[in-house]
Amino acid sequence: MSEAIDMQEQHELDTSWMEKMGEWGAKATPGKRGLTLDDIKVGSYGDLPKNSDNMTGRPRGATARPDAYRVGAYSVHTLSEIWLENAEFLYEEALQRQWSSATDVPWHTLKPLPDAVEEAECLLCTFFNEVEFVAGDVPARWIAKTTPDYLEARNVLSAQVMDEARHMDVFRKRALANGGGLMRMSGATSGFVGSIDLARDFTEMSTRLHISGEGAVLTMFRMGELFGQNDAEKTMYRLCAQDEARHVAFGVMHLRFMGATAPERCEEIECYLDEAEDQLLAGQQNPAGTQSETSEALAILLGGGVEQYDEGHRKLLVIRRRQLKEYMKRVISAGFSTRFENGRSPIPAAYASTN
Amino acid sequence: MILRGLLYVGNEPSKDSETAKPIQGVPNPTYEWMGLTNEWGIRVKPGEHGLRLGDVNVGIYGEVPERWEDQTRRPRGALPRPGIPPLPYSLRSKHEMWADCAANLYEEAIQRRWIPATEVPWDLLAELPEDVERSVCQICTELSQCANTELEIITYWQDQMSYGYFEVKQYLATATFDCARHLEVLRKRALSNGGGLGLESRGRVNRMILESSGGWTEAVVYLYLLRGTYLTRLLAGLLEYAHNDAESYIYSHMLEDHARHLTYGYDHLKYAATHHKGGAAIMRTLLAIGEGMFAAEIEDPIVKSAMAIIFGGGIEGGRTFGMERYLLLIREFLQDYLELCSWLGVDREETLHPKLKQYLEI
Repeated sequence: MSEAIDMQEQHELDTSWMEKMGEWGAKATPGKRGLTLDDIKVGSYGDLPKNSDNMTGRPRGATARPDAYRVGAYSVHTLSEIWLENAEFLYEEALQRQWSSATDVPWHTLKPLPDAVEEAECLLCTFFNEVEFVAGDVPARWIAKTTPDYLEARNVLSAQVMDEARHMDVFRKRALANGGGLMRMSGATSGFVGSIDLARDFTEMSTRLHISGEGAVLTMFRMGELFGQNDAEKTMYRLCAQDEARHVAFGVMHLRFMGATAPERCEEIECYLDEAEDQLLAGQQNPAGTQSETSEALAILLGGGVEQYDEGHRKLLVIRRRQLKEYMKRVISAGFSTRFENGRSPIPAAYASTN
Repeated sequence: MILRGLLYVGNEPSKDSETAKPIQGVPNPTYEWMGLTNEWGIRVKPGEHGLRLGDVNVGIYGEVPERWEDQTRRPRGALPRPGIPPLPYSLRSKHEMWADCAANLYEEAIQRRWIPATEVPWDLLAELPEDVERSVCQICTELSQCANTELEIITYWQDQMSYGYFEVKQYLATATFDCARHLEVLRKRALSNGGGLGLESRGRVNRMILESSGGWTEAVVYLYLLRGTYLTRLLAGLLEYAHNDAESYIYSHMLEDHARHLTYGYDHLKYAATHHKGGAAIMRTLLAIGEGMFAAEIEDPIVKSAMAIIFGGGIEGGRTFGMERYLLLIREFLQDYLELCSWLGVDREETLHPKLKQYLEI
């Protein structure tokens, strides 16, 4: 190693950077939930820029270097475009509530089902295997487009990408674990105008994905106790519902923040909600929708067989009703209640007709 | 295609069952979807590690084609539906993303998940000499930007990967989450012991990785083979010189995650080099350029000095032993790198960038 000493000139210690670091003396302390992202919003490190000029990918609060390369062409760089007040909480909760489809679902409780019931379950699983990762692919794309100054929101989206991978996985496993198989795809999430994929604005995407699409699916997952045929399926739906609830919460809280901080965009958001509501009522993206073939499968599962289809359909109506009710609650919570009062939204009438 | 559900199509209960009392307003089911499957009768049982993603790769469901033309989200093995508008999946060949280990890495990532907020023993952080604390914080800042670059390049490519290779997409979802966790834990470490964040990286290698927009494989060359191999040594060095159990926990778990990322990266590059004509030659060209960028980056005095101070226990020790230890780290990295290149069939020993070669001669 003696030659290394000879290289000291080339590799001389430079400490000049020590004088140029970010704010010094930060000493966040863990609270009762450990050391959370919220706990480390100390001093200037907690200051969120309303408009981010970070084009180099530096962590929020680090010192900028004048010679750093501008590698980040972040199209989402305004706080109102992506922020939500409880991002830290949702991210930490996502970490605490991760689960494993390999070992946390009691697969041994799967028992052979009547053929029609197995087919119905497999159709539903094919649908979810197909659509669940739209909610992974699309948020992933937006992470790369969002300034790292909004780290907390990006981390929630990263957790969602993970959750959706697990959802895609658990439904595939279920379809292939009980004597069935995958069936015909639905094509519910494809490249057409108004789809989640093609949204060119984050809030537009979030409205379609989190509020409408995942909202409808969340209601369904919550009803998994009703249509799950065994503990494995009930567990699967229950665990997915936990994850989905966080994703929906992201959408609601973001919409609330956006409405409060960028009121000039509210009418635009109302238009997205108009489209989302059409999808909710009849679109293929809602597995319980009136035009979805998965609705037939659900009726079989809810009834317990083809012989009880009518009874199952009656329960399906309860799910649809609950979807509408929960959707309205979310939109009201997000601050867009007027649409239900001024006749703009068809949802109250649809809800009333389900009585 | 097997039409195995036709039994029910002609046997709708509301029509045929004499005893059933139809409920008014219930639409007659068509059951058109019944029986529409490519392969039926799959009954995979969980093994000793549960029901793993790779376990369900049976029959046609396990057939991974070399080319996946379908631009919809059709799950592999499911029946297509005509008339579905395509999505912009630009990566549709197996060699563009595949690694045989992806399904196993996916499950491993889930089993080895960790939670910085509650599992790192934060209460064991102890006050450090200011020069050391500043160095740790500077390295946390640098590593944050590495994690950020990895996050951004993965999420840029992830949604361009076809559903036919869903194991890779799912594995990359775990890597995405890992990167988010690294960003989180490094920030927490920097802001919880009386310090703060440091100077941002100049970003030469970050730029190189992010500008690899020609293909995911090209990004993997820089992200994992070059930068990733270096980061492994860096993290191992930090672990070796960790100041307390909190830091040990952080670095050891980051290393575990990083090892999975590299396993995927190396495995994918091997697959690409052996299954794509000309793939190895492209890698060689990329590396010839990348090595120069990398050499310039490690000449930047900030990381070098911060690591030397950590290794040396302070500025004084950093000038001698610490810097020697850092130079040894670089040499070890280069030895790993050359060995990996040789294994991949893109030998770099003779043509290694001269500025890197000098580290081997120390």
